[in-house]
Amino acid sequence: MTSSRLPRGGRVERSKSVRFTFDGKAYSGHPGDTLASALLASGITLFGRSFKYHRPRGVFAAGSDEPNALVTVLSGDVREPNVRATELEIHDGLVTQSQNRFPSLDHDFMAINQLAGPLFSAGFYYKTFMGPAIGPLRGTRFWMFCEKFIRRAAGLGKAGTAPDPDRYERMNAWCDVLVVGSGPAGLIAAEAAAGTGARVIIAEERPLPGGSLLASAETIDGRDPSVWAREKAAALAAMPNVRFLTRTSVWGYYDGNVLTAIEHVSDFKPNRTKGQPRQRHWIIRTGKTILATGAFERPMVFPGNDCPGVMLADAVRRFALEYGVAAGSNVTLFTNNDSAYEAARALSLAGVNIVAIVDVRADVSGACRDIATAANAELLTGHAVTGTHAGKTLSSITVQHFNAETCRVSGAPREIRTDCLGVSGGWSPAIHLASQAGGKPEWDEDLQAFLPPEPNQNWVVTGAAAGYMDTISVLSDAATKGSAKSRLILPPVEAPMLDASPAPVFQIEPSAKSQKAFVDFQHDVTADDVRLAYREGFHSVEHLKRYTTLGMATDQGKTSNVPGLAIMADARGISIPEAGTTRFRPPFTPVSFGALAGERYGDLRPHRLTPMHDWHLANGAKMYEAGLWHRPMIYGSHGETVEQAYVREARAVRQSVGIVDVSTLGKIDIQGPDAAELLDRVYTNMFSTLPVGKARYGLMLREDGLAFDDGTTWRLGETQFLMTTTTANAGPVMQHLEYYLDCIWPELRVHLTSVTDVWAGTAVAGPKARALLEACVTGTKVDNDTLPFMGIVHSKIEGVPVMVCRLSFSGELAYEVYCGSGYGTRVWEALLTAGKPFDVMPYGLEALGTLRIEKGHVTGAEIDGRASAHDLHLDWMLSKKKPFIGSAMLGREGLKDENRLSLVGLVSLDNQAITGGSHIVTDARPREPADSFGHVTAACYSPALGKYIALALVKHGTSMIGNRAFATDLLRGRHCPVEIVSHHMYDPEGSRMHG
Amino acid sequence: MIIKCPYCGPRDVIEFTYQGDATRKRPEPLSNDPDVWNAYVYDRSNPSGLHREFWLHSGGCRQHLVVTRDMTTHAISSVAFARDIASGGQA
Amino acid sequence: MAELQSPIGSAYVTGDHGNAAGGVGVTIRERIGLSIIQITAWSDTIPEVLTAIGSATGLVLQNKPGLGRVAGEKSVFGFAPGRYFVVAATPELELRLRSVISADLATIIDLTHGRTVIRVSGPDAEWVLSKLFAIDFSEHAFPIAYGRATLHHDIHANIQHIDDETFDLYVFRTFARSFWKTLGHAAEEVGYKVE
Repeated sequence: MTSSRLPRGGRVERSKSVRFTFDGKAYSGHPGDTLASALLASGITLFGRSFKYHRPRGVFAAGSDEPNALVTVLSGDVREPNVRATELEIHDGLVTQSQNRFPSLDHDFMAINQLAGPLFSAGFYYKTFMGPAIGPLRGTRFWMFCEKFIRRAAGLGKAGTAPDPDRYERMNAWCDVLVVGSGPAGLIAAEAAAGTGARVIIAEERPLPGGSLLASAETIDGRDPSVWAREKAAALAAMPNVRFLTRTSVWGYYDGNVLTAIEHVSDFKPNRTKGQPRQRHWIIRTGKTILATGAFERPMVFPGNDCPGVMLADAVRRFALEYGVAAGSNVTLFTNNDSAYEAARALSLAGVNIVAIVDVRADVSGACRDIATAANAELLTGHAVTGTHAGKTLSSITVQHFNAETCRVSGAPREIRTDCLGVSGGWSPAIHLASQAGGKPEWDEDLQAFLPPEPNQNWVVTGAAAGYMDTISVLSDAATKGSAKSRLILPPVEAPMLDASPAPVFQIEPSAKSQKAFVDFQHDVTADDVRLAYREGFHSVEHLKRYTTLGMATDQGKTSNVPGLAIMADARGISIPEAGTTRFRPPFTPVSFGALAGERYGDLRPHRLTPMHDWHLANGAKMYEAGLWHRPMIYGSHGETVEQAYVREARAVRQSVGIVDVSTLGKIDIQGPDAAELLDRVYTNMFSTLPVGKARYGLMLREDGLAFDDGTTWRLGETQFLMTTTTANAGPVMQHLEYYLDCIWPELRVHLTSVTDVWAGTAVAGPKARALLEACVTGTKVDNDTLPFMGIVHSKIEGVPVMVCRLSFSGELAYEVYCGSGYGTRVWEALLTAGKPFDVMPYGLEALGTLRIEKGHVTGAEIDGRASAHDLHLDWMLSKKKPFIGSAMLGREGLKDENRLSLVGLVSLDNQAITGGSHIVTDARPREPADSFGHVTAACYSPALGKYIALALVKHGTSMIGNRAFATDLLRGRHCPVEIVSHHMYDPEGSRMHG
Repeated sequence: MIIKCPYCGPRDVIEFTYQGDATRKRPEPLSNDPDVWNAYVYDRSNPSGLHREFWLHSGGCRQHLVVTRDMTTHAISSVAFARDIASGGQA
Repeated sequence: MAELQSPIGSAYVTGDHGNAAGGVGVTIRERIGLSIIQITAWSDTIPEVLTAIGSATGLVLQNKPGLGRVAGEKSVFGFAPGRYFVVAATPELELRLRSVISADLATIIDLTHGRTVIRVSGPDAEWVLSKLFAIDFSEHAFPIAYGRATLHHDIHANIQHIDDETFDLYVFRTFARSFWKTLGHAAEEVGYKVE
């Protein structure tokens, strides 16, 4: 046993125990433990295998910066990989697994990768997956075969395949001040801001407020700082203008002071209350942001620095003070700055044995010496750690003389027996969010670290994140940054006089024979990889990052960023600020897809239902989703195929009468003295001449002259029109009209309102349609004189006011009956009742499509954004008497090109279906890629013609009529001989609908 | 991103629809100069620095706005109703 | 005339739902039997139109973005320049408004069939609605009686702040059932009652 629970200390509830498993073995810990602290307390120091080399790895940090101790959490069939053991709170029944090892953590076959070290160096993927350039395997797919195995060996946790049963939510928040972090700086800044009455949100990543105060041996106000922090936080949380969020990690900083955060609402609990989400995704819009995000301790890069037992000095302290866990029984510290001495003091007070302090500096202050003496630790100044000896955990280290000026190692190695090495390479302010916001970080010589940039949005940085490393200056900085008006009286702080400025030593360069020195633990990037990248010409930090993958793992380089830059700067012979740093990008910590998707999927995404929806379901409709709408596809009878059903429905329309729900058509109310003028400008044809009580079919173009949308528009009054659009284009057409009224023609007095939801629409089509209406419409006649083609009447059905317009999409005698949506089902049922003597049949979208294909009527499949009016044989609608949107561009060359595709019909010659999307070719079995000269836009079986037919857009369309070709579908392997015919395949004279 | 709608107040960018370059001027409807129309339909300026754009507050008051925005920092310096500007007002 | 069919249909289940532990966080119900009339004034007729709305309904408004008034079942609010919803439980509301607002002052359209009105009230109303809408529900940003036009899941909606803990949501009828389910889902955490 190397690590163990201390007899006292920490904030875990020692009276209670929590049971969990790790790699199938049962362990116990206490409430308040993380998986890392509980396993360390149980003597476990080996947590996982590394990314490329499968090297044994232990816990390295104690929080969100952890690169090594990643585990998979299992819950039923669901697996969540790459969870940081240092953040994972244990609960009864928690099941966890180590990662990237086979068959087990202790005996890992892939550890053989360590022997192949040079093979996996920087740029490995780029070099390897190009395939061999010479030799017998050149040009073969051999490397593809190998890639599978190599990729399997390298990696982190495996993602699960089971659907995530958990619930996630989104929360919108607005506030005056957002404080990120609740360490000493965050608490005081929040107190100052809240005192002004501002609405304040405080987001703390960890379960408890206090940040660095949770593991401090100082005193604030004469008390343990963690107690002071708890009381301060409780007082803040009780204020009505403050919202205090714990377990909430702010991970993104966006334009306009919009920040995103993940709140872990219940994933640390064994059971959840009903409706409680696992995680909540906060989108916080704030007036001002106070970044009190603290600082991350950084490692030193030295040979053998990745074995279990080597960790950050601050992590060793935090395990002892926060969790009452000694990370080793004989701890050594290795540092280039004073903060490790504060750690030594705290550890010693907590009862952890300190063997030695190895300091690269030639001399240290009296305060440091005093601490070393008090801790009974050997002080080795002017020394460095040059090697480690470890099996599954550290057993000893090698130290040698070290000159911090020249960075040269000298003298004979000396071995020190130790089972835990706490390393401190100085501190890097957590500037991630400020960097995301777009500022350029500035290098500070004293701290040897990047400080946050000048604000480019309304934010301030305070505390350690701003480079203040002692508690007294943190508190006073925070009070001023919290509010300029702050008159807070700051509490007294007792702390030793230490200096956080480190010696500028980042690496102990390995000799030829020494062990690997790691920079990025999670991606297994070594100091040699960085130097190799330099030698191979990847000098810029952005290239370094991409070539070596340094800083690209799930920890986003929290511990590796500065050491990596320092080594590159050293290799190039320039300073670190000259080398520069990469910009941090969201997310600061990993974010689950579930949390981002929130409630916007499955049943909870928006579904749009017509007023007759329930009737359709109750009457056997098979629905499909068209955009957000649910529409009947067919009304199936048992044993019928989809094709049999739509053929039956379409035949009924041609022979007698059918009704179809057309409520989904876009409907826009257009009112005002200039309504007709607007329509003349947006439609290609004339609407100002349309009499009241009549409808007209209209075509709209885009400004570039291509077809945009079509539909009928009804003149309901001198200054009022009801425009219908295709279902899919309802929104775009509305926007199009609004754009012209707002931005181009503000002088037109026209108001637009979307009324799609106001009206339920039913089309009644077939030779018996008029007879059906006569049986139910009251208050008006519906004969040819009263209701001619494109005429509108207002009347009632079963007492419900309706508008009836005679227009036809099916090519039959047909009417559209509109009533208020709240009466939609009632009118629908009345029409069915009235049609009973004629065997009226409800029909779905498939039959609707069949009828229109037979007639050659176009929809969105043909008005596809590339087709012109001419291509669709709609030239007759282009008025020559007036300009309209798109008219100026009609004459351009591209639209006159005779090679354009135009609309034709196709008839299958082998009596089998033509598949939608097929290409039109001349050869029966075309080579790949085929010389396509057109494509099928819609296909069906036509009961009226007794053939399989289709509409297609074909080069030289009209002149091809009468020719034979093939509709070929390489994906489905269908090659159908077809004859090209006119798109008017049924009743080309239109005698049926005018009848 | 937040756009401060002159009617609705500050709203999240999810409520807005980008409607393009607001510096173009539509040619006279009766003009049939292909170059002028081609420039209007296809040419867009992409300045570094301040730019004027149309944003439709589609998820709010449904007014088109002219937003003046710095393309390098994304900072918005002014927002006005497009209709007011099109009627001869200034942003 | 028969009652309008509610689009919520079988998804409307009265009673208590969700997490019962903390009591009822919000109460939700559909407001039925209302007439919803949209009036849009021209930019130069807004004061006259507001006066006319006042004379027809007794609810007098100043010309200020989003301003509204509530009196019992009756309410009025603006949500776009010159555009107002006038809502009352009287079927002849449209006729009454047309009698005082001539065609040259404003356009009028009856949206009764096109909107579903859902009332959300209770101590957690703001919390639950903040899950669905990206606007600031706090009283200083959204004063009582004011109206808003905003989005739920990219779908247009209007909201009026009725009192400290009550909001009326106007959603498109065709999305009403889907929205109702989403609202119930969001309210489960705090426990909710359907009246």
